[in-house]
Amino acid sequence: MEKIIQKSAFPQWLKSLQAFKIFLPKRASYGWELSSNHELQEIPEDYTYPVVPPKKLIFPQEEIFFEFEQNPEDGIKLKEILPEAEQQVIFGVRPCDGRAVKAMDLVFGGTYEDPYYWRRRRQTVLVGLACSQPPSENCFCLSVEGSPSSEEGLDILLTDLGDRYFVKAITEQGKSLLSAASSLFSEPGTRDREAREKIHLEAEKKIKRHLPSARELPERIKAIFDSDFWDEESLNCLRCGICTYLCPTCHCFDINDETKSLAPLKGRRVRTWDTCQFPDFTMHSSGHNPRPDRASRLRQRLSHKFLYFILLFDRFQCVGCGRCVTLCPVGIDIIEVLTRARNHGA
Amino acid sequence: MEHNVYLPRIGEIIDIKDEVKGTRPIKTFRVRFVDGPIFSFRCGQCAMLSVFGKGEAMISISSSPLVTDYLQFSILKMGRVTSALHEMEPGSLIGVRGPYGNGFPIENWKGKNLIFIGGGIGLAPIWSVLQTALLKRSDYGELMLIYGARTSQDLVFRTELEQLRSQIPVHLSIDVAEPGWSEFVGFVPQNVLDKKPSPQKAIAITCGPPIMIKFVIKALQDLGFQDDQIYTTVENKMKCGIGKCGRCNIGHHYICKDGPVYSWAELKQLPQEY
Repeated sequence: MEKIIQKSAFPQWLKSLQAFKIFLPKRASYGWELSSNHELQEIPEDYTYPVVPPKKLIFPQEEIFFEFEQNPEDGIKLKEILPEAEQQVIFGVRPCDGRAVKAMDLVFGGTYEDPYYWRRRRQTVLVGLACSQPPSENCFCLSVEGSPSSEEGLDILLTDLGDRYFVKAITEQGKSLLSAASSLFSEPGTRDREAREKIHLEAEKKIKRHLPSARELPERIKAIFDSDFWDEESLNCLRCGICTYLCPTCHCFDINDETKSLAPLKGRRVRTWDTCQFPDFTMHSSGHNPRPDRASRLRQRLSHKFLYFILLFDRFQCVGCGRCVTLCPVGIDIIEVLTRARNHGA
Repeated sequence: MEHNVYLPRIGEIIDIKDEVKGTRPIKTFRVRFVDGPIFSFRCGQCAMLSVFGKGEAMISISSSPLVTDYLQFSILKMGRVTSALHEMEPGSLIGVRGPYGNGFPIENWKGKNLIFIGGGIGLAPIWSVLQTALLKRSDYGELMLIYGARTSQDLVFRTELEQLRSQIPVHLSIDVAEPGWSEFVGFVPQNVLDKKPSPQKAIAITCGPPIMIKFVIKALQDLGFQDDQIYTTVENKMKCGIGKCGRCNIGHHYICKDGPVYSWAELKQLPQEY
């Protein structure tokens, strides 16, 4: 379903979605964030992309699994805490982040469905915004089978045509967001379609960074698994974990018990984001650590994204958003490292 | 909403046995569920045990799936959760979720001779297969156990091992000589070479410290065992147990879900990062 909405009518569209919790881009001290502030009425013209990807609205940094309580009479009581049944619409999801949600779906699905993830996921509508400009100088989505106008993972894709949005509803959920305010939408004309096409094509040309022949990387990474390449590349790593915390596809987590009182025993089991870049992530209680150094941890991060995920799901676990490149405090650049990895020993 | 995979069932510890005392103590726990029968499982599968307030630890099930009254776990005191388990008494309540992992492909081993090779606490996952083979004795050929520990005090299931001698050959070893010890002195791989199990129609199942497994595999290869005749289990730090939390992987395999059981033919294909 393809429609046009004037930007002047956008606030009315938002108003028609009162049943949902609406997230919109908002300027924060550190960059852009996705905010549910009711005063937000539009997607700002200078919006790039959120520093913290939308994954946090489906897979929050911290969530309670259940509460436990033990007393001598009743034994142990567990109280399951599933996310509240609140429908949410996220506006301004960049196509890379939409594809990242798709990759995340694969991880949290499969034989064992993650009930916390899917409760939120099924209540989330992703309204994408095609990139007219690359949101970052380190965007490289084209190299990992994405594009500035990719629809994958999104329910709606908006394209900014200046005074109006071209609205493409991709899924049934997306279509239902339009039907609530159908009078605000008009049929697109040839001029609209051509303008959209032009913006999509030109956006691709504006992407500066490339990782050519990424499909060759799995074999190369495999070939240099035991090489000292990883030692050299990881020398500067501070193991801060920012590359993974702010990665839209990284999903590793920890599970811990938090105790509120000891007698009676009361507490809760919580899940928090975790990262393969921390030394104790893989450390056994004996002290043995299969990934004991920065080299093996950098190798794990890149192998997961460009080898293991391909073996499991036939796709990259990287959407080319460039956040890890931009935000790494010591300049470890996944594009450069992988380019060198491909050439290493060749 | 479907079943919540992260929500444990409540289990009651019905029996605790001291296997090994000292600085590396091992206890064997028997657990039953307060809300009904135990789950069915395969030999070599694991369960995630909770001590509420402390957390969870993945432990292999050492009882046979043919025993349905309880689940048995033999646990070395090591980290936060296993230390808390060692403080518990019969009647204590814990959380249990699972079973997890692939388990041993014992349905493919009918008619084969089974050689069990264990070191220390590594006897636990093997014990499940061994007990199953004994209960279904006519399904299998000859059985043999080669088992060792650092000292005679570190051997687990000592009472059971003595009873086992009347049924199958049991070859024990300790690392360093002790007064009164009449069996093999040396490391487990050396005992394997000494006892020379035949690879004919045989499957070797080995579990123990990584360094022991490495040399047991080499010893078995020297005796003529093919890589697909050798089975072992791998251990890694685990949190979710269902292939999502990201820490137990070896290459693209999540040990909690795709392991912990591998033939050497399979395991040698994976990155040697464990």
